[in-house]
Amino acid sequence: MSDTASKGASPPGREDEVMVRCERVWKVFGAGAERVIAEHGASVSDETLARHELIAAVRDVNLSVNRGEIFVIMGLSGSGKSTLVRCMTGLIGLTLGRLLIDGTDLMNISTRDLVEVRRYKMGMVFQDFALLPHLTVLGNVVFPLKIQGVERGAREARAREMIELVGLSGRERYYPHELSGGQQQRVGIARSLTTEPEIWFLDEPFSALDPLIRHEMQDELQRLQGILRKTIVFITHDFDEAIKLADRIAIMNEGRVVQIGTPEGLVVNPANDYVAEFTQKIPRARVLTVRAVMGPPGRAGGEPIPENALVHEAAERVLAAEQPLPVSNARGELVGSLDRDAVIRVLLEKDRG
Amino acid sequence: MQVPQRRLVHLAPLALALGVTAWLKSWEEIPRWVKYYPRDWKVPADKQLDALFNFFAEEVDLGLFTFKELTRGFAWVIERLLLFVQGVFAKGFEFYGDAMTPWLVIPPLSWVAVTGLFAILAYWASGRALAILVAVFFAYFAVFDLWENAMLTLASVFVAVLLGIAIGVALGALGYRSRVFNAILTPIYDIMQTTPIWSYLVPVLVFFGFGPLAGLLATVVFAMPPMARVTTLALQRVPANTSDFGDMAGCTRRQKMWLVMLPSARRSLLIGINQVIMLSLAAVIVASIIGAGGLGADVYRALTALRIGDAVEAGLAITLLAIALDRISQGIAMRRPVHEVESARNLIRRHPLVTLALALVVASAVLGPFVPAVKSFPDSLTISTGDVWNDVVKWLNVNHHETIGGFRDFFIIHLLKPVKLFFIRLPWPAVILVAVTLGYALGGWRLALLAGLLLTGIALSGYWKQAMISLYLATLGVLASMLIGAPIGVAAALNRRVDRVVTVIIDTLQTLPTFVYLLPVVMLFATGEFPAFVAIVMYAVLPAIRYTKHGIANIPRPIIEATDLSGATRMQKLFQVQIPLALPDILLGVNQVLMMAFGMLVITALVGTRGLEQEALTSLAKVRPGTGVVTGLGIACLVIVSDRMITAASVLSRRHLGLATAAPAMA
Repeated sequence: MSDTASKGASPPGREDEVMVRCERVWKVFGAGAERVIAEHGASVSDETLARHELIAAVRDVNLSVNRGEIFVIMGLSGSGKSTLVRCMTGLIGLTLGRLLIDGTDLMNISTRDLVEVRRYKMGMVFQDFALLPHLTVLGNVVFPLKIQGVERGAREARAREMIELVGLSGRERYYPHELSGGQQQRVGIARSLTTEPEIWFLDEPFSALDPLIRHEMQDELQRLQGILRKTIVFITHDFDEAIKLADRIAIMNEGRVVQIGTPEGLVVNPANDYVAEFTQKIPRARVLTVRAVMGPPGRAGGEPIPENALVHEAAERVLAAEQPLPVSNARGELVGSLDRDAVIRVLLEKDRG
Repeated sequence: MQVPQRRLVHLAPLALALGVTAWLKSWEEIPRWVKYYPRDWKVPADKQLDALFNFFAEEVDLGLFTFKELTRGFAWVIERLLLFVQGVFAKGFEFYGDAMTPWLVIPPLSWVAVTGLFAILAYWASGRALAILVAVFFAYFAVFDLWENAMLTLASVFVAVLLGIAIGVALGALGYRSRVFNAILTPIYDIMQTTPIWSYLVPVLVFFGFGPLAGLLATVVFAMPPMARVTTLALQRVPANTSDFGDMAGCTRRQKMWLVMLPSARRSLLIGINQVIMLSLAAVIVASIIGAGGLGADVYRALTALRIGDAVEAGLAITLLAIALDRISQGIAMRRPVHEVESARNLIRRHPLVTLALALVVASAVLGPFVPAVKSFPDSLTISTGDVWNDVVKWLNVNHHETIGGFRDFFIIHLLKPVKLFFIRLPWPAVILVAVTLGYALGGWRLALLAGLLLTGIALSGYWKQAMISLYLATLGVLASMLIGAPIGVAAALNRRVDRVVTVIIDTLQTLPTFVYLLPVVMLFATGEFPAFVAIVMYAVLPAIRYTKHGIANIPRPIIEATDLSGATRMQKLFQVQIPLALPDILLGVNQVLMMAFGMLVITALVGTRGLEQEALTSLAKVRPGTGVVTGLGIACLVIVSDRMITAASVLSRRHLGLATAAPAMA
C-alpha cells in the first residue's frame, strides 16, 4: 500500500530512524499454520486458509514507525490491529515475516533478551488498564522498576515523578478500585512510562472510558507527547480519535493494512471505498492544511498564514479579511494565498467525491 | 456432535428397561449368574492390595531405610508442625531435659487470648457484628467445657488448611502452566473427592500409624483438590491484558506467577481457601472419630454411649466453629483494601489491630499465673445443658414414640424396602447394558465406554450387591431431595420474602460439617437406613433449592416480559416458560444434589448403612487397606458415572434450548 501522505508534509517523526519495522508480517491462527503459509507464501488465498481451518489475523503487513511520531493503527474489531500490536511487542510470535524493534529482530532473540527489550525499550498501556488490584497507585507505578531490581529509594522517586506527571499527586496510597476509570488509566500511563521506554504502545487506551473523559485523556496524551516525544504506536477503533492524535494512520481491514497516510492524506485521497466510509464523516476543515487548498500567490495582503496550519484554524481570519491572505512556508517565503471561497468550500464540505 | 443421529438411541434405554422388567417377571427362569455376580468371577483385587500394602509397609527396604521408615519420617516432620500448633492452642509446651519434671513449661494461649484474637480477626475481616458473634461462639466453648477439644480441632484444621493451600496452589499452578498436567490431574481430583474418607484413612493408618496425624493427612487429601481446581481456574480467568502486562513489564516466569498472576487471582483463591477450610473442618471432625481427639470424638463418644445431651452440646460447638470459620474466611475474601489516610510513622498507629492482638497475648500470659480465670475458664462456672437434652429425648421417646416410630416404619415398609429389593434384584449385566446405552445416548461413545468400564470394574471387584445398596440409598436421596427442594426453590425464586428466609437457612445449613447432620436423625430415629436416608435428604436438599431458584431467577428479563405481555397466567408462565428454561440449571443442580447425597452417604456408614461405604468403614477397623481402597473406588465409580451422565444431560438440554454451554460446575 502506498504512502499517500501529501508531498512536502513533514511528519514530526524522523524518517531516518525507524523504530518499528514490520516486513511482510503474517499471523495465522490454527494448527499447521506455519507449514501452509510457508508453502503458499503471501499469495495464499482465502479458500486455502479456509480449507486448512486457519484464521489469518494479520496478512502481509509492511509498515515502519519513525522515531518520535504518533503512529495510529485504526481498524474495527476483528481487523487484526490488536494481534498486530501483540506481534510488535513479542507477546505472540509471527507466522511469517520479520519484525524489527530499533533494528533488533524480535523473532531471533532469546527469551532473556526479549525480557530486556521489554524492560528498557517498551512501555504498554492496556484498554482495561490491567492494574494490579492488590497494589496501591504507587505500588503499581513502581512495579516495572521493582522487578528490574532498581533500588527502593530511586524507584519510588521515579514513580512519584511519573504520578505527578499524570496529575495524580496525593493519590499514591489509593487502590485501583478507589479510582475512576480515567484516573485508573492515568495510573496505567504513569506505569508504562516509569522505565523511560523509547517505544510506547497504547492498545485502545481510552476505549473503556466515557466520551467526555476520553477527550480529556486525548488532550492529556497530546500534552505528554509534547513533553516526552516518544515513538508511539496507538491502537484505536475510533477514526475521530485517530485523526485527532495521529501523525500517520494505518487503516486495517480483515488483517490487511488498507492505507497508510497522514490524516489529511486519507481524507483528501482515500485509497478505496472502505477508507472513504470513515473519512466522509470527518469535517475536512479539521484535517486539511492551508497548503492543500491555497491558490497561487497573487494579490493578497496582511499577516501571512503558515502553510501547515489547519483550515479551521485559519478560517476565522480569512473570513473576516477584506482580501485573500498570503500563505508562508516555514522559512517565511510566500508560497500562496487563501481566499474566502476556498475556505467556505472546505467548511461546506464541497468537492467531496 | 451429531445430536439428531443419536435421538433414536434415546429410546434404547427405555426399551431395555422394559425388557429388564419383563425379565424380572420370570425371575425363576433367569440363569443364576445373571441374577447374582458369581463369587468365582471375583477378581481378588482387595486381598491382593492388602498384601501389597502390607508388603510395602512391612518389608520394602530402600537400602538405608525401609519404606515404612520413609513414610514415618515424612510423618514425623508434619507431626512436629501439628504438635507445635496444638501446643500453641491447646496443650502448651513442656521441656524435660533429663529430669522427670519439666524445667520449663510454656502454657498454651489462654482462652481469653484466643477468643480475643479471633474476635480481632473477625473485626478485621468483616466488622463489629462478626467480631461480637465470634467472641460469643468462642465463649460458648469455654462455658460448656469444650475448650480443649475445640482447640484441638482448630489446630488440626489449621495445619490441614496450611498444607491444603500449599499443595493445592502448587498443583493448581502446574495445571495452569501445562494443559497435559491439568488433563492428568483433573480425573485424579475427581477420584480424590469422591472416594470416601474411610478408604484413604486405612492406607494412611498402615503407613503413618495411628494418631491425629493419620486423620490430618486424610483430611488434606480430601480438602486439597478444590484448592487446586480453583487455583487453575482462577489463573485462567486472570484478564488476558493483566497477564500481558506482566510480560510487557519484563517479568521473568517466576516473577509473573508470584507478583502478577496469583495476586490478581487473589479473590478467587480466597474463596477457594474458604472451601478448603470448610472441607477440612468436616473431614477433621470425621477423622477425629478414629483416634484423634477433638470435638468429633466428643460427639461420637457421647452418641455411642447414648449421652445425647453431651452429643448435642459438642455438635453445637462444631456448628458454631464452622459458622465462625466460614464467616471470617468469607469476610476476608470479600474484603477490599482501603488506602491509608495519612502515612503515620508510628508502627502502633499504623497497625492498631496487630498491636491490640499482641497486647492481648502478652497481657494474658503475664496475668495467667496470677489470675487463674484468665488462664483457663473456671470449672465452677462451666455449665451443661446435657440433662435438658436427655430429658427432651426421653420425653420424645415416651410421648411420641408411636408417632415417630410409625413415621419411620411407614417409610421403611413402603419406600426403602421395596426400592432396595428392586435395586438388589436388578440383574447386573442389564444394569451395565442400560448404563452403556444411556451413556451413548447422552454423551456419545466416550461416556458409554466410561460407564461400561467403571461399572464392570465394580462387578469384577465382587462388591456388586453393596454397590447397588449404596446406589439405592443415594438415588432415593436424590429423588426425595429434588421433590422437596425444587418446589421450595421455585417459591424462593417467585417470592422475595420466602427467598430471604430460605437463603438464611441454607447459608447456615451448608456450612455445617456432614457429621453434624447425624445428630438429630439419630436422636429421633436411632440407627439404620432410615435415619441415614433422612440425613442424606437434609443435606442434599440444599443444592436442589439453590439451583432451582438460581435457574428460574436467571432467565433473561426480556423473555419474562414478553411472556407477561402475551397474556400468560402465572401458572402458564411458570410451567411453560420458567421451568423449561430453568431446566439446564436444575439439571446441574441435580448433579450437585448427587454429589452431596453421596458425600453424606459415606458418613452415614456411622449409623449403620449396608453399602460400599460400610465395607470401607469396617475395613478401617480391620485394618484392611486393600478392601478400603477397592470399596472406596467403587463409590467413586458410581459417583463419576452418574455425574458424567447428568452433566451430559444438562449439556444436551442446553443445546436443545439453544443456550450457550456453560462451564461444567465444579464439585
